[in-house]
Amino acid sequence: MAANIPNDNLTIPASWRGMAPVLIAVGAVCVLISLGLFYFTGSEAKPDVGFRVFFHSYLANFMFCLSFCLGALFFVLVTHLVRASWASSIRRLSELLAFTISWWALLFIPILAMVLFTNSQALYAWNGGPGSDLPMIVQNKLSYLNPGFFAIRTLVYFAIWGITARIYFLLSRKQDDTGDTEISLKLQRWAGPAIMLFALALNFAAFDWMMSTDAAWFSTIYGVYVFAAGLLSFFAVMIILCNMLQNSGRIEKLVTVEHYQDMSKFQHGFIVFWAYIAFSQFLLYWYGNIPEETLWYKVRMTNGWQYVGLLLIVFHFAVPFLGTMSRHVRRNRGVMAGWAGLILVAHWLDMMFLILPNAAPVTPMLVLGHLICWIGMVSIFLALFLLRAGETPVVATKDPWLPESLAYQVGP
Amino acid sequence: MSDHAKPKKTPKPPKAHGWMAEYADDNQLLDAARKVKDSGYTRIDAFTPFAVHGIDEAIGIKPTALPWFTLCAGFAGLTVALTMEYWMNAVDYPYIISGKPYASWPAFIPVAFELTVLFSAFTTVFAMLGLNGLPRFSSPFFSNPKFDRTTDDRFFLWIGSSDKYFNSEKVQSLLTSTGALSVEEVREDDSPSDIPKPIIFAIIAGILVTLIPGAIVLNMRNAKSGESRLHVFFDMDFQPSRHTQTSTAMFADGRVQRPPVPGTVARGELGATDPYTLGYDPSQTVSTDSATAAAKLVSFQQDGEVAGDESKGAEASETPAVEPSETEPTDAEGVAAEEVTADPGAQPAADEAAPAAAAGVPNYAWLTELPVEANGELFELGRHKFEQHCALCHGYGGYGNGLVAQRAAELAQGYWLQPANLHDQAIEEQPVGRIYYTITHGKGKMGSYAASLTPEERWAVVAYVKALQRSQNAQPSDIPTRGDIAQ
Repeated sequence: MAANIPNDNLTIPASWRGMAPVLIAVGAVCVLISLGLFYFTGSEAKPDVGFRVFFHSYLANFMFCLSFCLGALFFVLVTHLVRASWASSIRRLSELLAFTISWWALLFIPILAMVLFTNSQALYAWNGGPGSDLPMIVQNKLSYLNPGFFAIRTLVYFAIWGITARIYFLLSRKQDDTGDTEISLKLQRWAGPAIMLFALALNFAAFDWMMSTDAAWFSTIYGVYVFAAGLLSFFAVMIILCNMLQNSGRIEKLVTVEHYQDMSKFQHGFIVFWAYIAFSQFLLYWYGNIPEETLWYKVRMTNGWQYVGLLLIVFHFAVPFLGTMSRHVRRNRGVMAGWAGLILVAHWLDMMFLILPNAAPVTPMLVLGHLICWIGMVSIFLALFLLRAGETPVVATKDPWLPESLAYQVGP
Repeated sequence: MSDHAKPKKTPKPPKAHGWMAEYADDNQLLDAARKVKDSGYTRIDAFTPFAVHGIDEAIGIKPTALPWFTLCAGFAGLTVALTMEYWMNAVDYPYIISGKPYASWPAFIPVAFELTVLFSAFTTVFAMLGLNGLPRFSSPFFSNPKFDRTTDDRFFLWIGSSDKYFNSEKVQSLLTSTGALSVEEVREDDSPSDIPKPIIFAIIAGILVTLIPGAIVLNMRNAKSGESRLHVFFDMDFQPSRHTQTSTAMFADGRVQRPPVPGTVARGELGATDPYTLGYDPSQTVSTDSATAAAKLVSFQQDGEVAGDESKGAEASETPAVEPSETEPTDAEGVAAEEVTADPGAQPAADEAAPAAAAGVPNYAWLTELPVEANGELFELGRHKFEQHCALCHGYGGYGNGLVAQRAAELAQGYWLQPANLHDQAIEEQPVGRIYYTITHGKGKMGSYAASLTPEERWAVVAYVKALQRSQNAQPSDIPTRGDIAQ
């Protein structure tokens, strides 16, 4: 069986790996620049507004990167769960993406420290505690939204994701040496429970970290929204990643045009799913028209944020939906990488739209600072990915379903 | 007819449909298909028990046009849905639902989504059937029993006789050279193609049977019957709700119609009970008040026989200004009020209020104090509104000499009634609620200002009028004396 596997170059280019320290430095500098930019542009009347905007921007960009790593973890789990043989040749890359999650916990420390050791309301109004001037609807949530419990939950989320990602990556690596089919069966057996824990953790993390930036507001579909956005951006990242690796002469035969078509199909599906969830949330609140529910949208329909919302409708849904509909587009990896890039830009706007309106209106300075923070966070993400990947083969060549994955054809 | 036709039919050999070759596995089929295609044939088809990868390229199947049908149908569905919803909700039958605009695009989206999917799905299914030439009840291939194994373990390749390079012998030899298990000619089915008579009969019978329910309904709608009607929805035809003006044992007072819960205020009628919006206290205005009672009585007797007659008599003797033909309830109210208050036996106070009574103002329990706080802001608002709405006729000083009055005096038209001088003693003595009532309802030629001024603004104007009156009727005692100044 091993004879069928093409002898591709499976390691990430050394020149890429050498960039990791530079990327870390660039990331740190950019995040600090954005902090300074926000801090010194905070209005004199409200000196803390700079911190407010910075922490919101930091969280939005943090979630931008973490969301597709979580999407990667979900992809690993769900392809094991349904024994999706087609995904065998691209699963290792997802495992590597998911494997960075435990390091993302380190980047959450600034937020966690602010919540634990200060009463700052820069990011979470509920962090002021019972003594502060909070509306009754938030006061009533303080038994859940308090620093101690928040920190414990955060640790639990990262533990669930980090341990799951670690187990699935390390066992898959073990299979690289032994070729033991039992490992695949074992991973499949545990995918069900793991995916349940993953879903719970993702939902509550979205509630805790993101939704509670506007603690008075609530939406039960919010976690699903974040999940949809994360998985969509994951497929976009995968398309770009595979395209870049193939451009530099890696995995040329192991990832075929059929895989691109399937990833593009999933991306297309999740474009619709994201729009469906976003619209479901909007329709119910718009129709019910209850003040405590519509306030969140009110904030996002004023102060320039309404244009960001319109951009999302156009570039997070309509344009890529029609643009990636064709089979010919999906089977052209260069073109698909372009569309995936557009999806990632839209995803960045989406995370911005979810979090930043609570902090400030849209201004050129806000967008600039947020963009610099984004460059920093993405640099850090790339560095983490490259460090995690190292010389690991980016395709699990002993995966028992790899031959099936290579023989796979989508059909006309 | 057909009995006569049959003997004329001459048996002829079935029409050729092409050649088909049988293969043992899919690789042989693929090789053969490539070879046949390379030979230049285009009317080729393959029949396999399962989907064979690469067969499309091997026999040169062009990409299907089906997706375009789906895409166009999707756009058509979207357009139809949005147009339909817009036309229905915003043009043909504009109706406010849930306080939303007529054209509520978010509310249109779900239906637009559904119709997009519906149109796409149906079009895809039917276009697929159409592109495949379905439904077909028979195919020439079925005449060969070997072909049955195509659903089991055999693979068939066919070259059609309609191919422009088709030559029966060459095709046969080509197919034989591809290593086929067998190569056989496909012939059009020579069995009769007429639809069997029992099936036609069954279809006609089915159509007739489906007409029966409609026929029964039509018959019942047009025929008379002595039998009671069929109640399909019994609880809809016989509801437990009671008719109005009947009695029931369910409530202690036996009334079917329930009085509103104490304190209920009907929508839009908040002002009906509130002294603030009325200018008087309705709870203090007792019905023993003769003017009110008479007004109410007459207002209930629309085109009343007794009260109407009486008022007519009164008009004839004492109030010729009012047209006798006015029989509408509101007018009758005014007439009756006038009649009673103008009665010679009425108390002296009523005489003094005669002008008011003449305009149909009942004797209410007027508010004597402002129901709002009289501060500088209120006076300023009152002054502003007074100069805006009142001063045109009544004049800035309130003497009834506004610009309109001056112009009317210049024109010297006989029908012009001088606006009231607000410093007349009768008006000076009016309580604030009475002035408020005049602003609200108008008086004589003066129209109602309820539409122009909110209750708050009316009270502000009242406050300003009171201040104006005071300013124009200063007493010597208002002037501070030497002693006062010393203090």
